Amino acid sequence: MKFYIDSLPVLFPYPRIYPEQYAYMCDLKRTLDQGGHCVLEMPSGTGKTVSLLSLIVAYQQHYPEKRKLIYCSRTMSEIEKALAELKALMKYRAQELGYEEEFRGLGLTSRKNLCLHPSVKREKSGTVVDARCRSLTAGFVKEKKERGEDVELCVYHDNLDLLEPHNLIPPGVWTFDGMLKYGEQNKQCPYFTARRMMPYCNVIIYSYHYLLDPKIADRVSKELSKDCIVVFDEAHNIDNVCIESLSIDLTEDVLRKATKGVNNLDRKITDMKSSDAEKLQNEYAKLVQGLRAADEARNEEAFMANPALPDDLLTEAVPGNIRRAEHFVAFLKRFIEYLKTRMKVLNVVADTPPEFLNHLRGLTFIERKPLRFCAERLTSLVRTLELTSIEDYQPLQEVATFATLVATYETGFLIIIEPFESATATVPNPVLHLTCLDAAIAIKPVFERFYSVIVTSGTMSPLDMYPRMLNFNTVVQESFTMTLTRKSFLPMIVDRGNDQTQITSQFEHRNDLQVQRNFGNLLIEFCKLTPDGVVVFFPSYLYMESIISAWQGMEILDTVWKYKLILVETPDAQETALALETFRTACNNGRGAVLLCVARGKVSEGIDFDHHYGRTVLCMGVPYQYTESRILKARLEFLRETYRIKEADFLSFDAMRHAAQCLGRVIRGKDDYGIMVLADKRFNKKQTQLPKWIQQGLDAKSTKLSIDQAVGAAKAFLKEMSVPWTRAEREGHSSWSLNELEEHQRKKEAHGISGTENPAMRALEGRAEIERVNGDGMVDEFGAGPDLDADMADMADVNG
Amino acid sequence: MSKQAGRAGGASKRQAEDGDICPVCKSSRYLNSTMEFKINPACYHRMCDTCVERIFKKGNNMCPVAGCAKTLAYKGFRRATFEDLQVEREVDIRKRVMKVMNKKEDDFETLRDYNDYLEQVEEITWNLILNIDKDATERKLDRFEAVQKAEGNAGVSKREPTKSTARVALNKGIVPEALNNDDADTDFSFRGLKKRVAPPKEAPFDPWGGYNIAQQYYVLQDNYDVDWYARMKSDPAHLVGGHSMQEYCSRALREAFGGFGVFIEDEIAARDDPSMDAGVGTEHAAAAAVSGDNVNMDDVF
Repeated sequence: MKFYIDSLPVLFPYPRIYPEQYAYMCDLKRTLDQGGHCVLEMPSGTGKTVSLLSLIVAYQQHYPEKRKLIYCSRTMSEIEKALAELKALMKYRAQELGYEEEFRGLGLTSRKNLCLHPSVKREKSGTVVDARCRSLTAGFVKEKKERGEDVELCVYHDNLDLLEPHNLIPPGVWTFDGMLKYGEQNKQCPYFTARRMMPYCNVIIYSYHYLLDPKIADRVSKELSKDCIVVFDEAHNIDNVCIESLSIDLTEDVLRKATKGVNNLDRKITDMKSSDAEKLQNEYAKLVQGLRAADEARNEEAFMANPALPDDLLTEAVPGNIRRAEHFVAFLKRFIEYLKTRMKVLNVVADTPPEFLNHLRGLTFIERKPLRFCAERLTSLVRTLELTSIEDYQPLQEVATFATLVATYETGFLIIIEPFESATATVPNPVLHLTCLDAAIAIKPVFERFYSVIVTSGTMSPLDMYPRMLNFNTVVQESFTMTLTRKSFLPMIVDRGNDQTQITSQFEHRNDLQVQRNFGNLLIEFCKLTPDGVVVFFPSYLYMESIISAWQGMEILDTVWKYKLILVETPDAQETALALETFRTACNNGRGAVLLCVARGKVSEGIDFDHHYGRTVLCMGVPYQYTESRILKARLEFLRETYRIKEADFLSFDAMRHAAQCLGRVIRGKDDYGIMVLADKRFNKKQTQLPKWIQQGLDAKSTKLSIDQAVGAAKAFLKEMSVPWTRAEREGHSSWSLNELEEHQRKKEAHGISGTENPAMRALEGRAEIERVNGDGMVDEFGAGPDLDADMADMADVNG
Repeated sequence: MSKQAGRAGGASKRQAEDGDICPVCKSSRYLNSTMEFKINPACYHRMCDTCVERIFKKGNNMCPVAGCAKTLAYKGFRRATFEDLQVEREVDIRKRVMKVMNKKEDDFETLRDYNDYLEQVEEITWNLILNIDKDATERKLDRFEAVQKAEGNAGVSKREPTKSTARVALNKGIVPEALNNDDADTDFSFRGLKKRVAPPKEAPFDPWGGYNIAQQYYVLQDNYDVDWYARMKSDPAHLVGGHSMQEYCSRALREAFGGFGVFIEDEIAARDDPSMDAGVGTEHAAAAAVSGDNVNMDDVF
């Protein structure tokens, strides 16, 4: 269907549109017009991706600037889905408009997924593929070949040089499969095609890391212009991605391998001095002049890039004392020896970077400045030495990155040395963590560089947490609900068992027999009444294991066994994949199955239990993080001091976003229905931190239930759902045709003066109610009441 | 026992290469869990602390490691900071060099010069580490240190060139020919060093900020020969403790001559003269009036 938002013609590839999709597009357009960042929450399964793509593509094609879209998602499968949606959309557009638009949409993923080289693609590990690819495609290898030496090259990569550099692949949308096929036909490398075509694309779809991880971003995303539209989809975990991309853990093993790498480098330098001293001399001369080699600017086979250095520093010359290769190698040796010495402590050490640097200077006379250039200098050296087996130098690279990070940032980082793995261990196994505490550091360049960044996900409540944590300002912040004709999901909070004892995963109570039995009874009851699949989430693997063994003793598992097949998630990815496959099979034929998994595990993010695969989800206990972790403690302290976010607020927010993710697993669309049970008394106080669309279904009569009350409600709900129902019933209300949409637009225009803030109008568009400031003053912005301290005490040791 | 063995196994993995065995007495950590290794910076040979006690406690002795004939003193022994003794030695040498070569980036005119300096320092350190004309380098270092010291003193006290400050001049980049050829090859010279300028001598502190408070129009005398004044001196009202006749006179005189420095004509002339600020203000107003659109008339209604 084709409709107009203001004067912008939008082609939407479906004949009907949901009201919330329309509202979502309006908000997107508002953001793009104004320029600025926005945070949007829309329930999963309401067609977020397609509304996003169709609006932005319409926007691109309508306005002459043709702003590029960078769409970042989390997993491979989500990226593929988005590519497929985009392809369908462009096909629809071509059909509607009657001509093919000049348009390119490409996805980028790792070499491992896009390699065509017959032997390289058979490698299992991604790093090996990367390394082997580099050894076949690097610039100096080619030079060698031209000089007549006998070296192997990748044909697929070489063929690219024969093509026009801006037209490596015909216009259109290319999925990964499509790219592979095209590459095979034309004998050209899909990976490098995608990389080199990025400046000429209208839409780029890739993973967060290509934009957020400074080690990669610098290489991949450098040339993207300022007016790009950046979208982070499924962004509820974006702060953790940011933090991980700047955190490094060093173990003794890494250091040992790094030492080996340094010794190797030393030998290589000596070799080269005797055979080809000129090259080293050239490099030296370049470094003296402070020139970054011209070919370096666009270097796709670079060993690694600099993690987030300010630009002015990048153009500065490398300090004199690490200019010569042998000096630099000795410098690295000294630094690694220092780290080794430092790791021999027997108690935990937490240092800020300035403290660390001071101690370092005192012991080894390494100044801050050369340390800062460490990563860059190593890259340059590796290039000069023409090393091909780069995977051997991985640990060394880690150490160099560590050095650069530690010397670059004074605040927002902490160095924690933990000599023992656990509190009870006696054999030291030290780990040195460089943890980034501030999620804003990694994402700051993105917000600064691009003037429209859209952060969106199904679960982002409370919305204002993200701008605070990531330190940016929004022009639009909106939460959408699901407009439903019939209430198709039933959220409930169960806080006590039939014997009136509480249900909670609080640390003091979690091992009480009664609590465990109540959890067990809850499981039995819901297994009895649910048709098909049941998914159960526990706060941690540890608790899951302990409760399963307790249930075994109480014969609870035997009872469950009568109704459902029991499957358990494990930390091992392959075992879990097998369990999931069995789960699906059992749901497809038979009485269904129950999957016991962990709220922060692989299942809780990214695996959908649509329709009969998930009719009930049980969240047993509040999924708090392990609060005794030193890293988490440091981060909490940092958040409190820098962004004024209280510890309890953050922990609670983090727990609730994971709980919401778990609940969202079962509703994957408007046709779907399911029961969501939150089993912990502490959920009662945290209702307001759930996404608006779940809150909407959570009325007073479905909170503070006992197990049998919940069972009653669930049975009634399932009965209601079993009434035959056609899609036609929801037309006009929760799904609009073109006429209805235009009708709505007219109505809205008539209401013009009261605008979108009109509550009735907002509800019609599926917007959530605006949060009002609570009158009683005791309630803070997350709706947590005065008993927050008690809450905090509760959570002090959950998740052990 | 088995637990201890396990721990020893874990630890030995860490130091597998030359292990936990003392190279002198061959006893291992397995038998002596409190064993500690020491080194002497004269030769950097590792030995356990019992050996050190045994051999060196009674006085200087030869290093027991075969082929090393150095005489070592007991007090020179210490624990090694680093596992790698090469690095330990390197760091010791660096400590020595850094003590002398401690110029900062601010001391140089350009970054390039500073980087060249850093490289030179690195070269010197390497010469020492690899024993390349070590003695000469050592000598150079010593001399440089002395010069540095002299320069430090010269900067504070005197500016006239003596023999030592002449060489400082050499280091500062303004290289006089005559000085350059006497022994320049044995000394260091760094390009681009900024000239050290002594801070201007501080003037003595003046609490009045240059304002003269001495009286110009009268001189306060010790006594005045007037009869009412003589009478007053014997008046009990003026004899109470803490009251001073001198103060009284000084105040009376100050008030009497109070307006003498002020010339009313000057003040009037200054008032009539249009001030600089007013002129600027009207110019701006005129410019604004011409451009027209930028005039912001604040109307409260």
